Amino acid sequence: MNLRLVGRSVLPVLGAGIFLWPAAHAQAVPQHFEKHFAVKGKPVVVIQNIANGRIEVKSWRNPEVVLTGTQASDKISIESEQAGDRIGVSSNLVDASAQPTEMEADFQLTVPEETELQLKTQTGLILVEQVMGDMTLESVAGDVHLKEVSGYIIVTTKSGSLVCTQCAGKLNFNSISGGAQLLQPALSNVNLFTTSGNILFDGDFVRTGLYTMKSGKGLVEVRFSTSDSFDLNAQTSTGTVDNQAADFLKPDSHGLKHMASKYTKSFFGTIGQGLAKVELSSYSGTIRILKRD
Amino acid sequence: MRDSIQCQGLAEAIEQEGLSPLPESAREHLARCADCQDLLADFNSISKAARELPAEVEPPARVWISLRAQLVSEGLIKKEGPAPEPARRARWWGGLAGLLQGRALATAAVGLLIFVAGAMQLERTSAPPNRELPGVSGSGGKAQAEEPDALTDSGTALSNQEHELRAVQPAGTLPTSSPVDDDLQKDLQTLNAFIADCQRHLKSNPHDQLAREYLAGALQQKAELLAEMMDRGRSVN
Repeated sequence: MNLRLVGRSVLPVLGAGIFLWPAAHAQAVPQHFEKHFAVKGKPVVVIQNIANGRIEVKSWRNPEVVLTGTQASDKISIESEQAGDRIGVSSNLVDASAQPTEMEADFQLTVPEETELQLKTQTGLILVEQVMGDMTLESVAGDVHLKEVSGYIIVTTKSGSLVCTQCAGKLNFNSISGGAQLLQPALSNVNLFTTSGNILFDGDFVRTGLYTMKSGKGLVEVRFSTSDSFDLNAQTSTGTVDNQAADFLKPDSHGLKHMASKYTKSFFGTIGQGLAKVELSSYSGTIRILKRD
Repeated sequence: MRDSIQCQGLAEAIEQEGLSPLPESAREHLARCADCQDLLADFNSISKAARELPAEVEPPARVWISLRAQLVSEGLIKKEGPAPEPARRARWWGGLAGLLQGRALATAAVGLLIFVAGAMQLERTSAPPNRELPGVSGSGGKAQAEEPDALTDSGTALSNQEHELRAVQPAGTLPTSSPVDDDLQKDLQTLNAFIADCQRHLKSNPHDQLAREYLAGALQQKAELLAEMMDRGRSVN
Protein backbone atom coordinates (compact mmCIF):
# COMPACT_ATOMS: atom_id res chain seq x y z
CA MET A 1 0.00 0.00 0.00
CA ASN A 2 1.54 3.28 -0.97
CA LEU A 3 1.53 6.32 1.23
CA ARG A 4 -0.94 8.21 -0.90
CA LEU A 5 -3.49 5.41 -0.52
CA VAL A 6 -2.97 5.32 3.23
CA GLY A 7 -3.46 9.05 3.34
CA ARG A 8 -6.72 8.84 1.42
CA SER A 9 -8.23 6.22 3.71
CA VAL A 10 -6.91 7.27 7.09
CA LEU A 11 -6.90 11.05 6.96
CA PRO A 12 -10.66 11.52 6.57
CA VAL A 13 -11.29 9.30 9.54
CA LEU A 14 -8.62 11.07 11.55
CA GLY A 15 -9.98 14.45 10.51
CA ALA A 16 -13.50 13.52 11.50
CA GLY A 17 -12.19 12.21 14.80
CA ILE A 18 -10.39 15.46 15.52
CA PHE A 19 -13.47 17.43 14.51
CA LEU A 20 -15.82 15.40 16.72
CA TRP A 21 -13.48 15.05 19.73
CA PRO A 22 -14.42 18.28 21.51
CA ALA A 23 -18.14 17.53 21.13
CA ALA A 24 -17.74 14.03 22.51
CA HIS A 25 -15.56 15.32 25.35
CA ALA A 26 -18.11 18.00 26.32
CA GLN A 27 -20.92 15.50 26.73
CA ALA A 28 -22.14 15.02 30.28
CA VAL A 29 -20.35 11.94 31.56
CA PRO A 30 -21.05 11.07 35.20
CA GLN A 31 -17.86 10.98 37.20
CA HIS A 32 -17.40 9.06 40.41
CA PHE A 33 -15.32 10.42 43.27
CA GLU A 34 -14.21 8.99 46.60
CA LYS A 35 -12.19 10.57 49.40
CA HIS A 36 -11.15 9.41 52.86
CA PHE A 37 -10.49 11.67 55.85
CA ALA A 38 -9.03 10.31 59.08
CA VAL A 39 -10.39 12.07 62.17
CA LYS A 40 -9.61 11.93 65.88
CA GLY A 41 -12.54 13.39 67.80
CA LYS A 42 -16.03 14.48 66.79
CA PRO A 43 -15.74 15.72 63.24
CA VAL A 44 -17.57 18.66 61.75
CA VAL A 45 -18.58 18.08 58.16
CA VAL A 46 -19.75 20.94 55.96
CA ILE A 47 -21.16 20.35 52.49
CA GLN A 48 -22.10 23.30 50.32
CA ASN A 49 -23.74 21.92 47.23
CA ILE A 50 -24.59 24.65 44.78
CA ALA A 51 -25.58 21.90 42.40
CA ASN A 52 -28.68 19.77 42.51
CA GLY A 53 -28.49 16.35 44.03
CA ARG A 54 -28.99 14.25 47.10
CA ILE A 55 -26.87 14.02 50.21
CA GLU A 56 -26.94 10.81 52.21
CA VAL A 57 -25.22 10.54 55.57
CA LYS A 58 -24.85 7.31 57.49
CA SER A 59 -22.68 6.46 60.45
CA TRP A 60 -20.18 3.82 61.39
CA ARG A 61 -17.83 3.18 64.29
CA ASN A 62 -14.60 3.98 62.48
CA PRO A 63 -12.73 7.24 63.10
CA GLU A 64 -12.90 8.12 59.45
CA VAL A 65 -15.13 10.16 57.18
CA VAL A 66 -15.64 8.71 53.74
CA LEU A 67 -17.05 10.82 50.98
CA THR A 68 -18.23 9.21 47.78
CA GLY A 69 -20.45 10.47 45.05
CA THR A 70 -21.00 11.30 41.46
CA GLN A 71 -21.04 14.50 39.50
CA ALA A 72 -23.03 14.71 36.30
CA SER A 73 -20.45 16.57 34.26
CA ASP A 74 -17.16 18.39 34.43
CA LYS A 75 -19.03 21.70 34.31
CA ILE A 76 -19.05 21.57 38.06
CA SER A 77 -16.11 20.75 40.29
CA ILE A 78 -16.09 19.04 43.66
CA GLU A 79 -13.54 20.40 46.10
CA SER A 80 -12.76 19.30 49.61
CA GLU A 81 -10.48 20.31 52.44
CA GLN A 82 -9.59 18.99 55.86
CA ALA A 83 -8.33 21.00 58.81
CA GLY A 84 -8.06 18.72 61.80
CA ASP A 85 -11.51 17.32 62.41
CA ARG A 86 -13.21 19.85 60.19
CA ILE A 87 -14.00 18.67 56.71
CA GLY A 88 -15.40 20.94 54.06
CA VAL A 89 -16.82 19.87 50.73
CA SER A 90 -18.20 22.16 48.07
CA SER A 91 -19.41 21.95 44.54
CA ASN A 92 -18.59 24.86 42.30
CA LEU A 93 -19.79 25.92 38.91
CA VAL A 94 -16.94 25.76 36.39
CA ASP A 95 -18.88 26.49 33.23
CA ALA A 96 -21.63 29.07 33.45
CA SER A 97 -23.32 27.57 30.39
CA ALA A 98 -24.07 24.34 32.28
CA GLN A 99 -27.61 23.06 31.94
CA PRO A 100 -29.52 21.95 35.07
CA THR A 101 -28.92 18.29 34.22
CA GLU A 102 -25.19 18.96 34.05
CA MET A 103 -25.23 20.59 37.47
CA GLU A 104 -26.04 17.53 39.49
CA ALA A 105 -23.87 16.09 42.22
CA ASP A 106 -24.85 13.35 44.64
CA PHE A 107 -22.93 12.82 47.88
CA GLN A 108 -22.75 9.84 50.19
CA LEU A 109 -21.05 10.41 53.51
CA THR A 110 -20.09 7.84 56.06
CA VAL A 111 -19.18 9.48 59.35
CA PRO A 112 -18.46 8.52 62.95
CA GLU A 113 -21.63 8.28 65.04
CA GLU A 114 -20.85 11.53 66.83
CA THR A 115 -20.51 14.07 64.06
CA GLU A 116 -21.66 17.62 63.57
CA LEU A 117 -23.19 18.33 60.17
CA GLN A 118 -23.83 21.42 58.10
CA LEU A 119 -25.35 20.46 54.78
CA LYS A 120 -26.82 22.58 52.03
CA THR A 121 -28.22 21.48 48.71
CA GLN A 122 -30.57 22.94 46.14
CA THR A 123 -32.86 20.05 45.38
CA GLY A 124 -32.66 16.36 46.03
CA LEU A 125 -33.12 14.48 49.25
CA ILE A 126 -31.04 15.06 52.35
CA LEU A 127 -31.03 11.80 54.27
CA VAL A 128 -29.32 11.42 57.65
CA GLU A 129 -29.42 8.22 59.67
CA GLN A 130 -28.06 7.33 63.08
CA VAL A 131 -25.92 10.38 63.63
CA MET A 132 -25.56 12.07 67.01
CA GLY A 133 -24.54 15.69 66.86
CA ASP A 134 -25.82 19.14 66.09
CA MET A 135 -26.89 19.55 62.50
CA THR A 136 -27.93 22.40 60.26
CA LEU A 137 -29.60 21.16 57.11
CA GLU A 138 -30.70 23.49 54.37
CA SER A 139 -32.46 22.65 51.16
CA VAL A 140 -34.27 24.78 48.65
CA ALA A 141 -36.62 22.27 47.13
CA GLY A 142 -35.43 18.91 48.37
CA ASP A 143 -36.97 16.90 51.19
CA VAL A 144 -35.13 16.13 54.41
CA HIS A 145 -35.43 12.69 55.97
CA LEU A 146 -33.93 12.08 59.39
CA LYS A 147 -33.93 8.75 61.14
CA GLU A 148 -32.59 8.03 64.61
CA VAL A 149 -30.66 11.24 64.89
CA SER A 150 -30.13 13.35 67.98
CA GLY A 151 -28.76 16.77 68.79
CA TYR A 152 -29.78 20.31 68.09
CA ILE A 153 -31.32 19.96 64.65
CA ILE A 154 -32.06 22.96 62.46
CA VAL A 155 -33.83 22.32 59.17
CA THR A 156 -34.60 25.09 56.71
CA THR A 157 -36.28 24.57 53.37
CA LYS A 158 -38.25 26.62 50.92
CA SER A 159 -40.53 23.90 49.59
CA GLY A 160 -38.95 20.70 50.85
CA SER A 161 -40.64 18.66 53.55
CA LEU A 162 -39.21 17.11 56.67
CA VAL A 163 -39.80 13.59 57.89
CA CYS A 164 -38.17 13.00 61.25
CA THR A 165 -38.42 9.47 62.58
CA GLN A 166 -37.25 8.63 66.10
CA CYS A 167 -35.39 11.89 66.46
CA ALA A 168 -34.16 13.14 69.83
CA GLY A 169 -32.92 16.45 71.16
CA LYS A 170 -34.11 19.82 69.86
CA LEU A 171 -35.64 20.54 66.50
CA ASN A 172 -36.16 23.82 64.71
CA PHE A 173 -37.90 23.69 61.33
CA ASN A 174 -38.78 26.58 59.03
CA SER A 175 -40.28 26.27 55.58
CA ILE A 176 -42.51 28.17 53.19
CA SER A 177 -44.49 25.35 51.64
CA GLY A 178 -42.83 22.27 53.06
CA GLY A 179 -44.52 20.16 55.71
CA ALA A 180 -43.11 18.40 58.76
CA GLN A 181 -43.85 14.95 60.10
CA LEU A 182 -42.43 13.96 63.47
CA LEU A 183 -42.89 10.25 64.01
CA GLN A 184 -42.10 8.55 67.32
CA PRO A 185 -40.05 11.51 68.45
CA ALA A 186 -38.07 11.85 71.67
CA LEU A 187 -37.60 15.56 71.20
CA SER A 188 -37.63 17.84 74.22
CA ASN A 189 -37.84 21.10 72.33
CA VAL A 190 -39.68 21.53 69.04
CA ASN A 191 -40.25 24.68 67.06
CA LEU A 192 -41.96 24.25 63.69
CA PHE A 193 -43.08 27.01 61.35
CA THR A 194 -44.43 26.59 57.85
CA THR A 195 -46.51 29.02 55.86
CA SER A 196 -48.53 26.56 53.81
CA GLY A 197 -47.30 23.07 54.68
CA ASN A 198 -48.92 20.54 57.00
CA ILE A 199 -47.58 19.48 60.36
CA LEU A 200 -47.99 16.08 61.97
CA PHE A 201 -46.75 15.18 65.45
CA ASP A 202 -47.31 11.53 66.19
CA GLY A 203 -45.63 10.42 69.38
CA ASP A 204 -44.93 11.14 73.01
CA PHE A 205 -44.31 14.50 74.59
CA VAL A 206 -41.22 14.52 76.77
CA ARG A 207 -41.98 15.76 80.25
CA THR A 208 -40.87 19.38 80.69
CA GLY A 209 -40.62 19.60 76.93
CA LEU A 210 -41.64 22.70 74.97
CA TYR A 211 -43.42 22.28 71.66
CA THR A 212 -44.50 25.03 69.29
CA MET A 213 -46.05 24.08 65.98
CA LYS A 214 -47.38 26.71 63.59
CA SER A 215 -48.74 26.53 60.08
CA GLY A 216 -50.11 29.54 58.25
CA LYS A 217 -52.55 27.75 55.99
CA GLY A 218 -51.93 24.06 56.56
CA LEU A 219 -53.16 21.37 58.90
CA VAL A 220 -51.56 21.01 62.32
CA GLU A 221 -52.31 17.55 63.66
CA VAL A 222 -51.21 16.16 67.00
CA ARG A 223 -51.74 12.55 68.03
CA PHE A 224 -51.10 11.96 71.70
CA SER A 225 -51.44 9.05 74.07
CA THR A 226 -53.34 9.11 77.37
CA SER A 227 -50.09 8.53 79.25
CA ASP A 228 -48.78 11.88 78.01
CA SER A 229 -48.61 14.89 80.30
CA PHE A 230 -48.91 18.33 78.77
CA ASP A 231 -50.71 21.66 78.75
CA LEU A 232 -52.26 22.45 75.39
CA ASN A 233 -52.91 25.83 73.84
CA ALA A 234 -54.42 25.80 70.35
CA GLN A 235 -55.50 28.90 68.49
CA THR A 236 -56.35 30.03 65.01
CA SER A 237 -57.33 33.37 63.49
CA THR A 238 -59.63 32.30 60.68
CA GLY A 239 -59.21 28.52 60.65
CA THR A 240 -60.81 25.81 62.75
CA VAL A 241 -59.91 23.77 65.82
CA ASP A 242 -60.96 20.15 65.44
CA ASN A 243 -60.67 18.70 68.92
CA GLN A 244 -61.38 14.98 68.74
CA ALA A 245 -60.00 14.36 72.21
CA ALA A 246 -62.23 16.56 74.33
CA ASP A 247 -62.98 13.67 76.68
CA PHE A 248 -59.34 13.38 77.67
CA LEU A 249 -58.59 17.05 78.12
CA LYS A 250 -59.38 18.81 81.35
CA PRO A 251 -59.13 22.51 82.22
CA ASP A 252 -55.67 23.86 82.89
CA SER A 253 -54.98 23.42 86.61
CA HIS A 254 -51.72 25.35 86.89
CA GLY A 255 -53.19 28.61 88.02
CA LEU A 256 -52.43 30.29 84.74
CA LYS A 257 -55.64 31.86 83.60
CA HIS A 258 -55.88 31.68 79.84
CA MET A 259 -57.66 34.59 78.24
CA ALA A 260 -59.02 33.66 74.87
CA SER A 261 -58.54 36.48 72.42
CA LYS A 262 -61.77 37.68 70.86
CA TYR A 263 -59.97 37.66 67.52
CA THR A 264 -59.04 34.01 67.57
CA LYS A 265 -60.63 30.63 68.12
CA SER A 266 -58.76 29.16 71.03
CA PHE A 267 -58.68 25.99 73.04
CA PHE A 268 -56.87 25.30 76.31
CA GLY A 269 -56.62 22.04 78.15
CA THR A 270 -54.43 19.69 80.13
CA ILE A 271 -53.57 16.05 79.75
CA GLY A 272 -52.24 14.32 82.86
CA GLN A 273 -50.27 16.66 85.06
CA GLY A 274 -49.50 19.05 82.26
CA LEU A 275 -45.74 18.71 82.53
CA ALA A 276 -44.92 19.59 78.95
CA LYS A 277 -46.14 22.68 77.13
CA VAL A 278 -47.68 22.36 73.69
CA GLU A 279 -48.65 25.39 71.61
CA LEU A 280 -50.41 24.84 68.31
CA SER A 281 -51.54 27.57 65.99
CA SER A 282 -52.65 28.21 62.47
CA TYR A 283 -53.67 31.41 60.79
CA SER A 284 -56.30 29.93 58.46
CA GLY A 285 -55.74 26.18 58.55
CA THR A 286 -57.09 23.43 60.76
CA ILE A 287 -55.74 22.31 64.12
CA ARG A 288 -56.63 18.70 64.85
CA ILE A 289 -56.07 17.02 68.18
CA LEU A 290 -56.38 13.24 68.26
CA LYS A 291 -55.74 10.45 70.71
CA ARG A 292 -53.70 7.60 69.34
CA ASP A 293 -55.19 4.13 69.49
CA MET B 1 -5.45 54.20 82.37
CA ARG B 2 -8.72 55.08 80.69
CA ASP B 3 -9.35 58.76 80.21
CA SER B 4 -12.98 58.99 79.18
CA ILE B 5 -12.70 62.49 77.73
CA GLN B 6 -9.75 61.57 75.55
CA CYS B 7 -11.39 58.28 74.61
CA GLN B 8 -14.46 60.23 73.53
CA GLY B 9 -12.22 62.53 71.52
CA LEU B 10 -10.66 59.59 69.74
CA ALA B 11 -14.06 58.11 68.93
CA GLU B 12 -15.17 61.44 67.49
CA ALA B 13 -11.96 61.70 65.48
CA ILE B 14 -12.58 58.24 64.01
CA GLU B 15 -16.19 59.10 63.26
CA GLN B 16 -15.23 62.30 61.48
CA GLU B 17 -11.94 61.39 59.86
CA GLY B 18 -12.12 57.70 59.30
CA LEU B 19 -9.57 55.18 60.47
CA SER B 20 -6.48 56.83 59.13
CA PRO B 21 -4.60 59.00 59.38
CA LEU B 22 -5.55 59.97 62.92
CA PRO B 23 -4.62 63.39 64.30
CA GLU B 24 -1.42 63.60 66.35
CA SER B 25 -3.27 64.06 69.65
CA ALA B 26 -5.44 61.02 68.98
CA ARG B 27 -2.40 58.92 68.09
CA GLU B 28 -0.69 59.93 71.33
CA HIS B 29 -3.73 58.94 73.34
CA LEU B 30 -4.03 55.71 71.39
CA ALA B 31 -0.45 54.75 72.20
CA ARG B 32 -1.18 54.61 75.92
CA CYS B 33 -4.87 53.52 75.99
CA ALA B 34 -5.50 49.80 75.70
CA ASP B 35 -9.28 50.28 75.41
CA CYS B 36 -8.93 52.54 72.41
CA GLN B 37 -6.40 50.20 70.83
CA ASP B 38 -9.01 47.46 71.11
CA LEU B 39 -11.65 49.76 69.64
CA LEU B 40 -9.42 50.67 66.71
CA ALA B 41 -8.55 47.02 66.14
CA ASP B 42 -12.27 46.21 66.02
CA PHE B 43 -12.92 48.99 63.51
CA ASN B 44 -10.03 47.77 61.37
CA SER B 45 -11.34 44.21 61.44
CA ILE B 46 -14.84 45.31 60.45
CA SER B 47 -13.47 47.52 57.72
CA LYS B 48 -11.24 44.74 56.39
CA ALA B 49 -14.07 42.20 56.42
CA ALA B 50 -16.40 44.64 54.70
CA ARG B 51 -13.86 45.33 51.94
CA GLU B 52 -13.68 41.61 51.25
CA LEU B 53 -17.42 41.43 50.59
CA PRO B 54 -18.05 41.04 46.89
CA ALA B 55 -19.47 44.03 45.09
CA GLU B 56 -23.09 43.24 44.43
CA VAL B 57 -26.29 44.90 43.45
CA GLU B 58 -26.76 48.06 45.45
CA PRO B 59 -29.75 47.97 47.76
CA PRO B 60 -32.48 50.30 46.60
CA ALA B 61 -32.39 53.76 48.09
CA ARG B 62 -35.90 53.32 49.41
CA VAL B 63 -34.68 50.52 51.69
CA TRP B 64 -32.27 52.95 53.30
CA ILE B 65 -34.91 55.65 53.44
CA SER B 66 -37.53 53.35 54.88
CA LEU B 67 -35.10 51.90 57.39
CA ARG B 68 -33.93 55.31 58.48
CA ALA B 69 -37.48 56.66 58.76
CA GLN B 70 -38.41 53.70 60.89
CA LEU B 71 -35.43 54.14 63.19
CA VAL B 72 -36.19 57.85 63.53
CA SER B 73 -39.83 57.15 64.32
CA GLU B 74 -38.72 54.66 66.96
CA GLY B 75 -36.41 57.22 68.48
CA LEU B 76 -33.45 54.90 67.98
CA ILE B 77 -31.68 57.58 65.98
CA LYS B 78 -32.24 61.30 65.84
CA LYS B 79 -33.21 63.26 62.81
CA GLU B 80 -30.01 64.72 61.43
CA GLY B 81 -29.84 68.46 61.93
CA PRO B 82 -27.53 70.82 60.16
CA ALA B 83 -24.20 69.18 60.70
CA PRO B 84 -21.25 71.41 61.38
CA GLU B 85 -19.11 69.54 58.89
CA PRO B 86 -21.47 67.69 56.60
CA ALA B 87 -18.93 66.86 53.94
CA ARG B 88 -16.54 65.20 56.35
CA ARG B 89 -19.27 63.18 58.06
CA ALA B 90 -20.71 62.11 54.76
CA ARG B 91 -17.30 60.90 53.66
CA TRP B 92 -16.85 58.52 56.60
CA TRP B 93 -20.38 57.13 56.81
CA GLY B 94 -20.81 57.20 53.08
CA GLY B 95 -17.66 55.15 52.80
CA LEU B 96 -18.95 52.62 55.31
CA ALA B 97 -22.27 52.36 53.50
CA GLY B 98 -20.35 51.84 50.30
CA LEU B 99 -18.34 49.05 51.83
CA LEU B 100 -21.40 47.28 53.09
CA GLN B 101 -23.58 47.65 50.04
CA GLY B 102 -24.98 44.50 48.55
CA ARG B 103 -27.60 41.85 48.86
CA ALA B 104 -26.58 40.90 52.37
CA LEU B 105 -27.20 44.43 53.55
CA ALA B 106 -30.47 44.70 51.71
CA THR B 107 -31.66 41.53 53.37
CA ALA B 108 -30.33 42.69 56.71
CA ALA B 109 -32.14 45.98 56.27
CA VAL B 110 -35.43 44.26 55.62
CA GLY B 111 -34.73 41.91 58.51
CA LEU B 112 -34.13 44.91 60.73
CA LEU B 113 -37.40 46.44 59.60
CA ILE B 114 -39.20 43.27 60.56
CA PHE B 115 -37.34 43.29 63.88
CA VAL B 116 -38.47 46.84 64.50
CA ALA B 117 -41.97 45.77 63.55
CA GLY B 118 -41.73 42.98 66.10
CA ALA B 119 -40.58 45.44 68.75
CA MET B 120 -43.54 47.69 67.96
CA GLN B 121 -45.80 44.69 68.15
CA LEU B 122 -44.49 43.81 71.61
CA GLU B 123 -44.98 47.38 72.69
CA ARG B 124 -48.57 47.24 71.51
CA THR B 125 -49.14 43.95 73.24
CA SER B 126 -48.00 45.36 76.57
CA ALA B 127 -50.23 48.39 76.21
CA PRO B 128 -53.94 48.23 77.10
CA PRO B 129 -55.85 46.95 74.10
CA ASN B 130 -58.28 49.84 73.96
CA ARG B 131 -55.87 52.66 74.60
CA GLU B 132 -56.32 55.89 72.76
CA LEU B 133 -53.43 57.80 71.36
CA PRO B 134 -52.98 61.29 72.74
CA GLY B 135 -54.89 63.70 70.62
CA VAL B 136 -56.77 60.97 68.81
CA SER B 137 -60.37 60.41 69.62
CA GLY B 138 -62.37 57.30 68.93
CA SER B 139 -61.84 53.63 69.57
CA GLY B 140 -58.51 51.97 70.22
CA GLY B 141 -58.87 50.08 66.97
CA LYS B 142 -59.18 53.29 65.08
CA ALA B 143 -56.19 54.70 66.92
CA GLN B 144 -54.06 51.73 66.01
CA ALA B 145 -55.22 51.86 62.42
CA GLU B 146 -53.93 55.41 62.26
CA GLU B 147 -50.51 54.52 63.66
CA PRO B 148 -47.67 54.03 61.22
CA ASP B 149 -47.48 50.27 60.79
CA ALA B 150 -43.96 48.86 60.62
CA LEU B 151 -45.22 45.58 59.19
CA THR B 152 -46.81 47.47 56.31
CA ASP B 153 -43.53 49.29 55.72
CA SER B 154 -41.69 45.98 55.71
CA GLY B 155 -44.14 44.54 53.21
CA THR B 156 -43.77 47.58 50.97
CA ALA B 157 -39.98 47.44 51.15
CA LEU B 158 -40.03 43.76 50.21
CA SER B 159 -42.40 44.35 47.31
CA ASN B 160 -40.07 47.01 46.01
CA GLN B 161 -37.15 44.66 46.46
CA GLU B 162 -39.03 42.01 44.50
CA HIS B 163 -39.75 44.42 41.65
CA GLU B 164 -36.13 45.47 41.48
CA LEU B 165 -35.03 41.85 41.47
CA ARG B 166 -37.29 41.24 38.52
CA ALA B 167 -35.78 44.25 36.81
CA VAL B 168 -32.26 42.78 37.02
CA GLN B 169 -33.69 39.36 36.13
CA PRO B 170 -31.84 36.98 38.40
CA ALA B 171 -32.55 33.28 38.16
CA GLY B 172 -35.76 32.48 39.87
CA THR B 173 -37.48 35.64 38.73
CA LEU B 174 -36.96 34.72 35.10
CA PRO B 175 -39.44 32.61 33.22
CA THR B 176 -38.79 28.91 33.69
CA SER B 177 -35.07 28.18 33.93
CA SER B 178 -34.85 25.13 36.17
CA PRO B 179 -37.12 23.08 38.44
CA VAL B 180 -35.63 24.75 41.51
CA ASP B 181 -36.35 28.18 40.09
CA ASP B 182 -39.91 27.09 39.38
CA ASP B 183 -40.23 26.03 43.01
CA LEU B 184 -38.89 29.36 44.19
CA GLN B 185 -41.41 31.14 41.99
CA LYS B 186 -44.26 29.09 43.44
CA ASP B 187 -43.05 29.81 46.96
CA LEU B 188 -42.94 33.51 46.19
CA GLN B 189 -46.53 33.35 44.94
CA THR B 190 -47.55 31.41 48.03
CA LEU B 191 -45.98 33.98 50.31
CA ASN B 192 -47.42 36.94 48.41
CA ALA B 193 -50.90 35.47 48.57
CA PHE B 194 -50.53 34.71 52.27
CA ILE B 195 -49.13 38.15 53.07
CA ALA B 196 -51.98 39.80 51.17
CA ASP B 197 -54.50 37.65 53.05
CA CYS B 198 -53.01 38.59 56.43
CA GLN B 199 -52.88 42.26 55.51
CA ARG B 200 -56.54 42.25 54.44
CA HIS B 201 -57.49 40.53 57.67
CA LEU B 202 -55.49 42.97 59.77
CA LYS B 203 -57.17 45.94 58.17
CA SER B 204 -60.46 44.85 59.70
CA ASN B 205 -58.93 43.19 62.79
CA PRO B 206 -55.87 45.26 63.68
CA HIS B 207 -55.63 43.75 67.17
CA ASP B 208 -55.37 40.15 66.00
CA GLN B 209 -52.00 39.38 67.54
CA LEU B 210 -51.82 35.91 65.99
CA ALA B 211 -52.35 37.28 62.48
CA ARG B 212 -49.61 39.85 63.09
CA GLU B 213 -47.22 37.09 64.14
CA TYR B 214 -47.95 35.12 60.99
CA LEU B 215 -47.55 38.21 58.84
CA ALA B 216 -44.18 38.96 60.44
CA GLY B 217 -43.08 35.35 59.89
CA ALA B 218 -44.13 35.41 56.24
CA LEU B 219 -42.35 38.72 55.64
CA GLN B 220 -39.18 37.29 57.14
CA GLN B 221 -39.48 34.25 54.89
CA LYS B 222 -39.99 36.48 51.87
CA ALA B 223 -36.83 38.42 52.67
CA GLU B 224 -34.91 35.15 52.86
CA LEU B 225 -36.51 33.85 49.68
CA LEU B 226 -35.56 36.95 47.72
CA ALA B 227 -32.02 36.62 49.05
CA GLU B 228 -31.94 32.99 47.87
CA MET B 229 -33.16 34.01 44.43
CA MET B 230 -30.46 36.64 44.27
CA ASP B 231 -27.84 34.09 45.28
CA ARG B 232 -28.98 31.65 42.64
CA GLY B 233 -29.03 34.38 40.04
CA ARG B 234 -25.44 35.23 40.84
CA SER B 235 -24.20 31.65 40.83
CA VAL B 236 -26.14 30.62 37.72
CA ASN B 237 -25.61 33.76 35.69
